[in-house]
Amino acid sequence: MSTAIRLAQPTAPRRRRRAARPLNWIAEHIVLVTLAVLFIAPVIFVFLTSVMTNDQTLTPSLWPQPWTWSNYLDAFRTVPLLQWFGNSAFYAVSSTVLMLLSSIPAAYVLARIRFRGATLIFVAIIVTMLLPPQVTAVPVYVMWSKLGLTGSLLPLILPNALGDAFSIFLLRQFFLTIPKEYSDAARIDGNGELGVLWRVIIPMAKPGIAATAIFMFFSSWNDYYGPLLYTSENPQWWPVAYGLATFRGTHGTNWGLTMAITMLVIVPVVIIFFFAQRVFVEGITLTGVKG
Amino acid sequence: MTAATLTPGRATTSVARPGQRRARRRRLIVIYAMLAPAVLGLGVFFVYPLIASLYYSFTSYNLLSDPVWVGLRNYQYLFTEDPNVATAALNTLWFVVIMVPIKLAFAFAVAGLLARARRSNGIWRTLYYLPALVPPVASVVAFVFLFNPGTGPVNLILGWLGVHPGPLWFNDPNLAKPSLLILAVWVMGDVMIIFLAGLLDVPRELYEASSLDGANGFHKIIYVTLPAMVPVLVFSLVTGVIAALQYFTEASVASATASGEATVGGGGALVAGYPDQSLLTYTQWLYERGFEDFQLGYASALAVLLFIVASIFLFFLLRKVRAFMPEEATA
Amino acid sequence: MKSNSHVGRLGRLRRQLFGAAALATAATIALSGCSTGGNTTIDKTAPTKLSGTVSLWHFFTDREAKVIQSVVNNFEKLHPGVHVIVHSGQDDTKLQQAISAGNNVDVGISYSTDIVGAFCSSGAFRDLTPYIKRDHVNVSDLTPVTKSYTEYKGKRCAMPALSDDYALYYNTNLLTAAGITSPPKTLSELESDALKLTTYNPDGSIKTLGFDPVMGFYENAAAHYAPATGAQWLNSKDKSVISSDPGWTELIKWQTAFVQKIGYAKLKAFDAAAGQEFSAANAFQKGKLAMNMDGEWRTAFIADQAPKLQYGTAPFPTADDHTDLYGGGYITGNIAGIAKGSKNPELAWALLKYTTTNTAAVVKMANGLKNVPHLTSALQSSSLEVDSQYKTFIDVAGNANSLTTPASPVGAGYQTTFEQWWEKYQETGTGSIAAGLKTVDQQIDASEALAAQ
Repeated sequence: MSTAIRLAQPTAPRRRRRAARPLNWIAEHIVLVTLAVLFIAPVIFVFLTSVMTNDQTLTPSLWPQPWTWSNYLDAFRTVPLLQWFGNSAFYAVSSTVLMLLSSIPAAYVLARIRFRGATLIFVAIIVTMLLPPQVTAVPVYVMWSKLGLTGSLLPLILPNALGDAFSIFLLRQFFLTIPKEYSDAARIDGNGELGVLWRVIIPMAKPGIAATAIFMFFSSWNDYYGPLLYTSENPQWWPVAYGLATFRGTHGTNWGLTMAITMLVIVPVVIIFFFAQRVFVEGITLTGVKG
Repeated sequence: MTAATLTPGRATTSVARPGQRRARRRRLIVIYAMLAPAVLGLGVFFVYPLIASLYYSFTSYNLLSDPVWVGLRNYQYLFTEDPNVATAALNTLWFVVIMVPIKLAFAFAVAGLLARARRSNGIWRTLYYLPALVPPVASVVAFVFLFNPGTGPVNLILGWLGVHPGPLWFNDPNLAKPSLLILAVWVMGDVMIIFLAGLLDVPRELYEASSLDGANGFHKIIYVTLPAMVPVLVFSLVTGVIAALQYFTEASVASATASGEATVGGGGALVAGYPDQSLLTYTQWLYERGFEDFQLGYASALAVLLFIVASIFLFFLLRKVRAFMPEEATA
Repeated sequence: MKSNSHVGRLGRLRRQLFGAAALATAATIALSGCSTGGNTTIDKTAPTKLSGTVSLWHFFTDREAKVIQSVVNNFEKLHPGVHVIVHSGQDDTKLQQAISAGNNVDVGISYSTDIVGAFCSSGAFRDLTPYIKRDHVNVSDLTPVTKSYTEYKGKRCAMPALSDDYALYYNTNLLTAAGITSPPKTLSELESDALKLTTYNPDGSIKTLGFDPVMGFYENAAAHYAPATGAQWLNSKDKSVISSDPGWTELIKWQTAFVQKIGYAKLKAFDAAAGQEFSAANAFQKGKLAMNMDGEWRTAFIADQAPKLQYGTAPFPTADDHTDLYGGGYITGNIAGIAKGSKNPELAWALLKYTTTNTAAVVKMANGLKNVPHLTSALQSSSLEVDSQYKTFIDVAGNANSLTTPASPVGAGYQTTFEQWWEKYQETGTGSIAAGLKTVDQQIDASEALAAQ
C-alpha cells in the first residue's frame, strides 16, 4: 500500500538541488509541454468539430464557422441517447453490484483460508481472467440463446452473480495486504468468517474494493464486444458505446453530430474520474505494482 | 475442483468438543457458501464452454439445427483453405509483437520523465492519463475523423507543412495498423501510472550508492532502474500481450468507421478488416464466421486454436509473475 | 428495464406455444418441407379471423421506415384484432442473429437476395409452398427475375418485397457545362466523359469527380458491374466460374486502368471526404460527383434531400464489345420470409401475403420507396407514380439483359471473396489477373463446400 500513499502525496524530500541543472530542467519541461499539447490536441479537435456545421466538417478546416451548438441538441433528437446512457448505466451498475456480492466473499476465502483445492481454484481463476473471452464465446452464446436471453444485456450482467475472475483476483490481492493479526483478533472476539469479512476486511480494504468496483464499472461502460454480440439486433438494449459505433453507419449522418456524441460519451467518464481520482490511481497502481 | 475437499487448515489441528464441532461445521458451511457462486461460475462459464468448444469444433452447427459431426473437416479448412485466417493471425501477431512493446516503451519513457520532475508530477500525470479514460469506441471514432485524409485536421496541418498529398492513414492498408498504434500510444495512461509508481518505489539509496560508484545516467537505468522494475514490466507485458491477442474493438470500429460503408448494402464481411483485411484480427475473423455467418462449428475450431496459442503465451509468461502464484495465500 | 423478464418469458412462452401448436396440428397434413426446420404442418384452410401480435423485422430507417409503417397500418385496419410490432433498422446480420438465436421474429425483410440460399438451406426461413398452395396465391404475378431469386433449389422460402435495379445517374448541369450532351453508353465513353468532368484543387486533390471507379465506393460492387459484360458467377453445380468468364477480366482491366489514370491515393482521399452514402451529404446529391451508379431508391432520396438537383438517369454503360447488352442492369431486391421460430406462422403468413402479393399494398410501398414493384399487376397499375428518372429503372427491370446474383449456401460470401481480391488489386493494377481469379475460384469453392456440409 506504501506506493499508493506515496503517489497520492508526492512529497518525498528532494535531495538534489534543481538549480544546479537549469538546462536539463528546461529541456525536460519542453518535452513535457510538447507531449501534453499532443495528448490534449485530439480532444480539442473533436470538440471543435462538434460545433461545426455538417457542410463544414466535409471540408478541411480547424475553426468552426459558424459555431453550431445545435449538434448537441440534435444528438438527443437523432438517436435515443438518453436511453443509451440509461442502458449503459444499468449494465455497469448492476454488473458492479452483482460482482461485489459474489466476488468479495470468494476473494476473502481465497486470501485467508487454506483448504485443499484452493490452488486449483486460484489457477482456474487466473486462466479465466487471462484467456481471451472469444475462446468460450460460442458455447456461452448458445447457452444464452437456448435460454432465450440473447437480444438483451442480461447475458453480460448475470454472469457477474457467479463471480468475476479479474475482480476476485484483484480483491484477493488487496485482502492479502491486510495483516492477518487483525482477522485473528476478530476471530478470538467470537466472530465467524462472515463477521471477520464484514467487520475487519471490508472496512480495511475499502479503497481496494472501490478500485475493483470502478474497474468493473468502466469495463462494462466501455464494453463494445459484448453488446455487439448480444444486443446488436435489439436497439432497445444498446449501451452508449455500441450505439456510438453504429451511429455513423445506420443514421447516415454527419461528422459534427458524431463528434458531439463522442464528446457526450467522454464527458461523464472524465467527471467520474475527477471525483474518484485517488481511487483510480491507487487501483491501477496496485494491480501493476503488486505483480 | 470439488468443494467437498474443503477443510479449513486450522480446524484439523485439534480434537474438538461437540460445541466446537458444531461451530466448525457451521463455519465450513459458511465458507462453502462464500465460495460456491465463484466455483459454479468457473464451471458454467469456463470449464463447460472449453469442453463444449472442443466438441463443437468437430461439428457443423448453425444454431437452427443440431450439430452434425464432421470430424476434422473444420480444421482441414482452417489450415489449408481459409483465405483469411493467416492474414488475421499475422495482423494479431503484429499487435502483439509491435504495438505492445512500443506502447510500453513509450509509457516507460514518459513515466521516467515524470519521475524526474517529481514536484509537479501530479498535474502532468493527470494530463497524460486522461486519454486512457476515453471510452475505446469514442477514441477510435475520433481518431478516424482526425486522420481522415480528406477532411481531418492531421492532414490539414501536414499540408501546411508541405506534405502533399497527405497519407491515407486508416484508408491505407499499410498505414492502418500504425494508425492504431498511434492511438494505442495516446491511451498509454494506465500503463504509465503503473510504471511511475514502480519508479517512485525504487529506493533512492540505490541511485545514491551508484552515484558514489561513479555511474552515469545511462548506467543507472541499466543497473538500478531496470532490475528493480522487472516485476512491473513483466506484469504489464503479460497483460498487454493478453489484451493484444483479443484485440477487437479498436480494429473493428476503425474499419467500420473508415470504410464509411456501414452496414446498409455492404454487409459485414467486406467492412471487417477494411482496408484490405489489414485490420482483420483473429478475434474479428472468429466473430465473423461465428456470429455473422453462423458457422459455429468452424468458429469453435478457430476458438480452439486461439486457446492453444494463448495457453502457450501464458505458459511462458505466467511463471514470471509473482502475483499469479497461489503460494501467496496466507492462512 | 422491465423488459428483462419479458424477454425471458416470451422465450419460454414461445416454446410452450410452439409445442402445443405442433401437437394440435399433428393429425393434419405433414409436409416434408424444410430438411432442417423440422416438420412443417399447417392448417387445411386459412383461419377466417386473425388476432394476436406479429413481429415484422426490416432494415429500413427514417423516411423509408415510415413508408413501411403506413402499409403495416393498412394491414392492421384490415384485421382489427392484429397488432404488428415493427423492428426497424435490422440488417441481415442482425436478422440472422435474431432468427438463429430464436428471438421473436415472425416476418423478416432483408435487403439482399443473397441470403435466400443461406436462409433456405439452414432453415432460418420456412418453406412457403404449403401456404401458397392452400391459399391459391398467384405466383405467376411475380416478375420472372424476382420469382427466381426468391427460390433456392426449387424451394420457395421467401417472397420478393419490391425489387431494386441499378443504372447511371448524371448531373445534367455539370454535363452540360462540360459540353457533354448525352450520357455515356459504353465504358470508354464513361471514362473519357468522367476525366473531362473531373476538376482539381490547387493542392492537387480532387474537387469534383466525373465518375468514381474505386471498387467498394458507395454502390461500386462487382455484382452491379456484371451486366456491362454479362459476366457470370457460378455454374449449375455452384462452382465459381469467375476466372473462366472473360467478362470479369475485361471489367477488371478497364476499372483498374481507370483508377490508375486519376490515381488511387487521390481517389481514396476523395472517398474518405465524401459524405456518407445514405445521408444528405451524398457526393452525387452534393454535386461533387457528376456521374454515379446507384439504385432506383436514390430518386426518392434526391426528391427528399436535394430537390433542386438537376439530374437524369440512363441504363449503365456496357463494355465496348457488348453494346448489344445496353438497357440491362443489375437487379436485386428485398425479400421477405417467415422465420423458423415464428410463434404464430398463420398471422405471419397473412402479413407476408398482404405486403408482398396485394397489388395495392405493393404499389403504395413502391410509390413511397421509389423501388420497383415485383408484381406484374403493380407495374401495370395506373396508381404507380412514374416520372422520367424513375422510368429508366422500370425499363431496366423489364430488360432481358438484366442480371442478378445466384443464390448460394454462403449467401453473398462468394461476392465478398471476389471483391476482397478486386479491391486489393485495384490499388496497383499489377500482377496476374488470371492467377488471382484462379485463387478466388478455389476459395469460393472451398467455402461453399464447408457451408454446405
